[in-house]
Amino acid sequence: MMAKHEAGPSIALKKPRRGDIPRHELVFLWISRVFIWFVIALTLVPIWFVIEAAFNPTNAYFSLTLFPTHPSWANFHYLFAQTQFMLWVKNSVVIAGIVSVGQVVVTSLAAFSFSRLHFWGRKYGLMVLIIVQMFPNFLAIAAIYTVMAKLNLINDIWAYILILMGGSAFNIWLLKRYFDSIPRELDEAAYVDGANVWQRFTRVILPLSIPMLVVIFIFTLMGAFSEYILAGTILQTPDHYTLALGMYGMISGQFAKNWGDFAAAALLSAVPLAVTFGLLQRFIASGLMGGVKG
Amino acid sequence: MAEVVTTKPTVGNRVAMRGKRGQKLAAYGFLSPAIISLAVLSFLPVLYTIYIAFTNFDATHFLSHQFVGFQNFIALFNPSDPLFSVFWPTMEWTFIFAIVATMANYFVGLLLAVILSNPHMHESAVYRSLLIIPWAVPGLISLLAWQGLLNQNYGQINGLLHFFGIAAVNWLGVPFWARVSVLMVNLWAGFPFMMTVTLGALQAIPPELPQAAAIDGASKVQQFRYITMPQVWKLSLPLVIPSFAGNFNNFNAVYLLTGGGPPRPTNEFVGYTDILASAAYKMTLTFNLYDWAAAISVILFIIVGCLSYINMRYTKAFEESDLT
Repeated sequence: MMAKHEAGPSIALKKPRRGDIPRHELVFLWISRVFIWFVIALTLVPIWFVIEAAFNPTNAYFSLTLFPTHPSWANFHYLFAQTQFMLWVKNSVVIAGIVSVGQVVVTSLAAFSFSRLHFWGRKYGLMVLIIVQMFPNFLAIAAIYTVMAKLNLINDIWAYILILMGGSAFNIWLLKRYFDSIPRELDEAAYVDGANVWQRFTRVILPLSIPMLVVIFIFTLMGAFSEYILAGTILQTPDHYTLALGMYGMISGQFAKNWGDFAAAALLSAVPLAVTFGLLQRFIASGLMGGVKG
Repeated sequence: MAEVVTTKPTVGNRVAMRGKRGQKLAAYGFLSPAIISLAVLSFLPVLYTIYIAFTNFDATHFLSHQFVGFQNFIALFNPSDPLFSVFWPTMEWTFIFAIVATMANYFVGLLLAVILSNPHMHESAVYRSLLIIPWAVPGLISLLAWQGLLNQNYGQINGLLHFFGIAAVNWLGVPFWARVSVLMVNLWAGFPFMMTVTLGALQAIPPELPQAAAIDGASKVQQFRYITMPQVWKLSLPLVIPSFAGNFNNFNAVYLLTGGGPPRPTNEFVGYTDILASAAYKMTLTFNLYDWAAAISVILFIIVGCLSYINMRYTKAFEESDLT
């Protein structure tokens, strides 16, 4: 584990107070601030445009205003009444939910054995898994499609779930580093007290790793939500459409007609995930850097 | 393994003594779901793809494909073959896209991270939370939304340009601007990840290092150039190389924004922004040319494999110590 230092002062010797900043650093600070504000504006303006479009019932998108001129819920009403939005959400939630739970289970089992157990192949096993994983399975699209077609599994939602469910070597690696940071004495003490391997895993390691398990759950959930290539290959009929397929169909080629409704759908589906992500920001940052050997 | 155990305190020793074989069996039990699923879902499709690449498997040969040897790969290098004109321009753009996208994301992320770690900027946590928002939005939604925002006639980006008196740009319809759009949107979505990574690396540098350099008379610029930068680079590299490999196969970034278009006048199969991954997708689903798709995928496997090897070799991030 690397040493964690207080956020920020990597150069200053002691935390400076407002009063004693040298003049040239003050100038530099304000230039930095203005630059950051500019970048933040550039970053957030597109998001604001989408929010605005969601509440803008007229189709006068081109007219640039800071706020919608006659804000209303019309696009949201249309979305629920006239499109299959709720069905897409349901399909996506079911698929992404099952896939994420499955991945967390598979990942934590494997990460535990890499972190705590002796077995042949331990030294290079994770490296081999990572190499295998470097070939994302959607690159084998021709193989997957033809096999599914021959097995008559095209348009089968469970086949799609199963394909996404495969263990993720990257997640195993992230979680293993987290397990490694839990003191071994804890679960060894439990072992001495008569706990078996399974109890060590479920009673000691897992409860201490909940933040990281949640991060992996969210990563997988977001990945499954955004998965298009295999969904487009396997799921063919509109009743099996996920948000990815439904929303792609909504905007592609018929932009002028659907932009407001699309924006409303984007808002409804992005906000819950974005808020969750924001709340977990701290865990995500430390999880990514956690075990990098410094 | 044995020496490590003997150096452990007595508790560890007793633990190690008890049922090593049982533990081994348990280990395989714990591993099997991951191993089996990776084998069936990643490894077998790759093997089957390699097989297809050596056949003439397409829609007309769906039930009766034959082994054709290296024919598909020879076609890739034969300038008079249609596969040649599909492959090479796409390959070139795939490399340009992956390199430019990863570098742009990294340097913008790093620049912001350096500015945000200024100790005088007391409110930098607020800025960081705002700048991270594009990462928090699922890629699918933001990419499709960008498709709308960049629409030539109704899109709000052109509306904004109009406000500043700039003529409308046909973002997704002209090859040059379509490529710029793909890179721009990728930067918008990708810099927060790099910012988070480099910020973490900056905070992991012991403050003694630049201080010692300062005492030795190094200027701020020299401290950054010779102390801070190499450290950040070393810490972030294990995450930068996978991100390059990810961009190399960033199907969503292209397909959800431009659909690979605008189309090439000389070639019906791939457009100007298609990367190899989206080309393989179109070959499979639109044109039912599984053999071509597989041949392209095999080339991708080789490239990605080399990248992974370099990653392992130079970062050693995934190598395991024997048992600690």
